[in-house]
Amino acid sequence: MLGNEKASGSKECRDFSVLTMEEAAGDLKQALPNECDSLQIHVEVHQRTSSTAKTEEVQSHVLKLLNRHSMVFGDYTWTDFDDSFLIKNVESVAIVDTELKLKDRQPIDLSTCRLSIHIFHLNEEGPSTENLEEENENLVAANHWLLPSVEFHGLWESLVYDSEVKSHLLDYVTTTLLFSDKNVDSNLIAWNRVVLLHGPPGTGKTSLCKALAQKLAIRLSYRYRCGQLIEINSHSLFSKWFSESGKLVTKMFQKIQEMIDDKDALVFVLIDEVESLTAARSASRAGTEPSDAIRVVNAVLTQMDQIKRYPNVVILTTSNITEKIDMAFVDRADIKQYIGPPSSAAIFKIYLSCIEELMKCQIIYPRQQLLTLRELEMIGYVENNISSLSLILNEIARKSEGLSGRVLRKLPFLAHALYLQSPTVTIEMFLQALSLVVDKQFEERNKLSDYV
Amino acid sequence: MDTTSRQKDVCVQTLQLAGSSDNPAVVLACERLSGVQQSEGCCSVSVDFSGLVTQESCCRFICELLKHVLYQRQQLPLPYDQLIYFLSRDHTSNRAMYYWKNNFGLCTESTDSLSLDNELILKKRRCTNLADSMKCHRVLAELEKLFGHLETLFSLTLVPRVLLLLGGSTVCPRELYEVNMEGIKLGNGEQSLKTSFCMQKIFRSLFSADVFSDLQSPAIMGAMLLVQGHRDCGIDWFRPKLAYKVPSRGWRLTINLSCCDMTLAPAIHDAATSTMQDYIWFQAPVTLKGFHE
Repeated sequence: MLGNEKASGSKECRDFSVLTMEEAAGDLKQALPNECDSLQIHVEVHQRTSSTAKTEEVQSHVLKLLNRHSMVFGDYTWTDFDDSFLIKNVESVAIVDTELKLKDRQPIDLSTCRLSIHIFHLNEEGPSTENLEEENENLVAANHWLLPSVEFHGLWESLVYDSEVKSHLLDYVTTTLLFSDKNVDSNLIAWNRVVLLHGPPGTGKTSLCKALAQKLAIRLSYRYRCGQLIEINSHSLFSKWFSESGKLVTKMFQKIQEMIDDKDALVFVLIDEVESLTAARSASRAGTEPSDAIRVVNAVLTQMDQIKRYPNVVILTTSNITEKIDMAFVDRADIKQYIGPPSSAAIFKIYLSCIEELMKCQIIYPRQQLLTLRELEMIGYVENNISSLSLILNEIARKSEGLSGRVLRKLPFLAHALYLQSPTVTIEMFLQALSLVVDKQFEERNKLSDYV
Repeated sequence: MDTTSRQKDVCVQTLQLAGSSDNPAVVLACERLSGVQQSEGCCSVSVDFSGLVTQESCCRFICELLKHVLYQRQQLPLPYDQLIYFLSRDHTSNRAMYYWKNNFGLCTESTDSLSLDNELILKKRRCTNLADSMKCHRVLAELEKLFGHLETLFSLTLVPRVLLLLGGSTVCPRELYEVNMEGIKLGNGEQSLKTSFCMQKIFRSLFSADVFSDLQSPAIMGAMLLVQGHRDCGIDWFRPKLAYKVPSRGWRLTINLSCCDMTLAPAIHDAATSTMQDYIWFQAPVTLKGFHE
């Protein structure tokens, strides 16, 4: 109770709402619509690892920067600054996730928006490991990251989905926090803090979980001192000793409990391939599963009921085979989000980002501007010398439909390895190779299914 | 032995006896006099110096305590200084061997097979120890580097507190060792106590408090070092952790160092008190991994 009050107090002074914005930016437009109408814009400020500047100071300098550039089109990232303070202390200032709220890319007047400025440091150290049995050092039961971590930087942006998967997830957590803050009686309105992402392999379920944890750790840094991500190694929880597995699960959750006890920490528990921990108990009734597996499911379910009472924990789970999961677990998941293979529009976006990266690294040279799908739409897919390359890419994207995100992200690499092999290539050559490699991918897939 | 330390000794012994008894008054009194406090999962040792201390001495304290903890918690198979000694001896013996072979190589071939056998045995031993000695080299090099950077840090800023964390992560360590130097009063070389004298006093208190014997022998854990320093001290090797909070979980040992000098010299805490929020935590960008033999 006390913790909550304190947290909301600090929220008021840190969260940059309309009032502080006005104070800091006297020359901006004063007349503001009421809060509901105005758009919430998130600005993520990546502070340099060596920087020791105070948050308030960084905030005021970033506000000055935003003041000078009060009109933006969609997401935008600044990495070069005129301000010597920003050069010294800040890696990048990014306006993010505008497309989650606005369907069309349209000019945004920052002066009419509510700005939330999130300043973060990235943690450089890799994951630390948790062992359950003292004598068995080699068995890693869980990986433990401090968020925001260098490893997951940029992951959120690299994930492209058609429907509003991302904004759904963010909104879900926002509501969860709101309900916890307002002390909604959880006996009357229940929510379990469990998210289940399911779908075919390679669609980025695990990545999305990690990216979500990172994003929320940044977004909620004003009320949680640090974010933590614990990735449970499901198979390590099964013991060679009969009847020990259930106890190992309990032990694991005890460790998690210890971390949650720290009210300043926001804890994400990631259980990948959750079906191995929560295999349907009905199957074991037929005698095909040992009863030890039932104990594991029971232990997981009861432990989850235990920790859901804490406001600072979210359990993220992923699965490929949903029908194998125990119904009692599926029931507990608040959000059961299906994540399918990307549509051609999403594929186009993924390819575009890949090509952008290769141009940045000067593997594709000279640099050429490609149009986005929306821009193509606007000119009505008419072929001219500006749009021709983009149209080819669009064709390839349409051809690639049915491939998973994981495959798509490696195609540019394969295209280079199999068909190009030179240190620099022109974009025309690259697109040709990409088209070939897509055909090859489908060919291989057909062969594989023939043999099976 | 002066009277105060004898009195302390008696208290420590009484404490050990009284640990099992349930006379809280006795325990409390002894704790206050001996400077040792023990409770569940938490232990503290206080050391009072009878004069001023230099900043360099403080740095030496930290380095020595670091070495000591790593050895006591079995992260190093031998004390740091012995490892250094053995390593340098190995190195020189290798050099001697090389020298001997190059210069008298002809003689060995002609004389006997005995020396050849010896060499084989040596070689074999060296091979089995190779992995170990690689690890050893790495750890010692890392520690040496760390000590160097600590020295730089101490020359740049006042250091009120230092944390050594073993196992887990920085927010959730398994064991936490804190050196609190807020009560230290700094002086220059001439006015101050000798480093070796202070060191003896620290280790005397540590040994008599007997803090390490109750802990079970651990596996190899990552060791992380955090140092509190001034925001603008300009050190670039250490990484600032602006939002860091000292964790409350895990087993902890606090070593309080202070000076009971009656002069007007301000303690570190008082010197830094007006700008206490400018003192932030810095983390050494290495995780030390010890080794078992």
